[in-house]
Amino acid sequence: MRAILIRQVLWLVGLAFLPAIGQALYYRGNAAWQQPPVDAAQVTVAQAKNWGAAVLWIDARSDGQFASAHVPGAMQLNEDDWTELLPKVLAAWSPERKLIIYCSRQTCNASHAVAERLRNEDGLKNVYVLQGGWEEWQKSDQ
Amino acid sequence: MPMSTGRCSALTIGLCVCLSLGVDASLVWENPEVDLHPTLSDKTAVAHFKYKNTGDQPVKITAVQPSCGCTTAALAKDVVAPGESGEITATFNIGDRSGEQTKTIRVRTDEPKSEGTLLKLKATIPRLLELAPAFLYWRPGDAPAPKTIEVKIDADFPVTKLDVSSTDPAIKVESAPVPNEKAFRITVTPETGNRPVNAALKIQPDFPKDAPKTFYANVRVDARPAPFVAPPK
Amino acid sequence: MSEEGRDRTRFAWDFFVRRGLAVLAGAVFVYAGIAKVADPMRFASDINNYQIIPWAIGVRLAFYLPWLEILCGAALLVRQVYLGALSILSALMVIFIGATVAAKFRGIDITCGCFGAASNNLSFVGHLALDLALLAALIALWSLPCAWSIGIRTQPRGP
Repeated sequence: MRAILIRQVLWLVGLAFLPAIGQALYYRGNAAWQQPPVDAAQVTVAQAKNWGAAVLWIDARSDGQFASAHVPGAMQLNEDDWTELLPKVLAAWSPERKLIIYCSRQTCNASHAVAERLRNEDGLKNVYVLQGGWEEWQKSDQ
Repeated sequence: MPMSTGRCSALTIGLCVCLSLGVDASLVWENPEVDLHPTLSDKTAVAHFKYKNTGDQPVKITAVQPSCGCTTAALAKDVVAPGESGEITATFNIGDRSGEQTKTIRVRTDEPKSEGTLLKLKATIPRLLELAPAFLYWRPGDAPAPKTIEVKIDADFPVTKLDVSSTDPAIKVESAPVPNEKAFRITVTPETGNRPVNAALKIQPDFPKDAPKTFYANVRVDARPAPFVAPPK
Repeated sequence: MSEEGRDRTRFAWDFFVRRGLAVLAGAVFVYAGIAKVADPMRFASDINNYQIIPWAIGVRLAFYLPWLEILCGAALLVRQVYLGALSILSALMVIFIGATVAAKFRGIDITCGCFGAASNNLSFVGHLALDLALLAALIALWSLPCAWSIGIRTQPRGP
């Protein structure tokens, strides 16, 4: 019985390779095979610090949170006051600069929403979201 | 097959049922997901999440955590007696948002095996028009050639005219409807000479008449480098 | 009822219960497999979130495991490979539940990725309950006697 069981298992395990290989071939150009795909939209604090003065920091948090503390030199931009805050950001922007948006932590969505609008509505390139958000920045500063 | 696998199966099923019972907390939510459809003129969208304590012990709501600062949640009282009902009122501040927005509120209670409940507020905010792009930029060295902004009008709104003006007179604007489409095209031409400009375009559709809305696009023209003039010999 | 009659009734009952359970469990695994086949890179990210195996292995598993799941789910209804399918699915469930519980203890915040994007709406306890229910169904399939089990006959051979 054991031999029969092993044979059945081997058949199934072997058969499953066929569609899997087919799909992998289909994805051969698109899949990241060696390393996790660099989420082109996210950067770590370390990467951001490496970029130095080229970075234009954008704080997507509320007024109160921004007023309490923010990344030095950061400008505020959020969906509550988009129309009012955007022109100042665009005046400070230039094509060579890298915009890094952050909100409170990794799980908050505000930074992604702001980044998406800057890319899609305003056509800006080099727009990134800070991995870990303000929380991560604070940890790196300690 | 040995009987022990049957008992094992029963044990696993039993464990499963116990876990499920643990998941079923005493505080039962009538509508943990609410869909809202605010109108164009609304500044906020309000959802009422109703709950009832179906258990035989009072339940204390220990935390109500919205996912963003744009949503506030109000609780009438935090201790819910057995059999008592109540509601959490969530107010979503629309701000300058449009399209589908989903905001969540995590509600935690003092029930031992409960991870809390995630309430969802989904608001479909009408978008009167869409600008593509909403920002025009002329680099230094770019010829001051006209660029266009396509304005797509939402099918649900009867916009027949678009008034466009610029905050800087050096930015010339012209708006014309696109034939056979619910759209307009704004042609923007910088006549700034060599002066850098940061301007806004005010775009005013003729709907809604009672509460007109103004949309903005931004324009930036960076100074062109001065043309090279050879020094006299 | 005669002894033979009782045996036949019991056999018919076991047969339909087992078939019903096999169809149900098989359908769940096929559905789960299809959800993962639809977005293999997302499943690769979910595997990576467990922080157990390196990415290079995880991404290859992400392409392979969903197809194995679909095949074994469907194979629960095919006599020739029934036991093999049951063995593979049971092993996968045990490994997966172990990895999920371990991740929870390590404080890793994961979506299990079991049902593709649909997984996002289930809490950890909800997921665990569902997984244990599936494992229970598989164990029940092991315990119910069936004519397809090699060497086991529910009726005596004829004279």
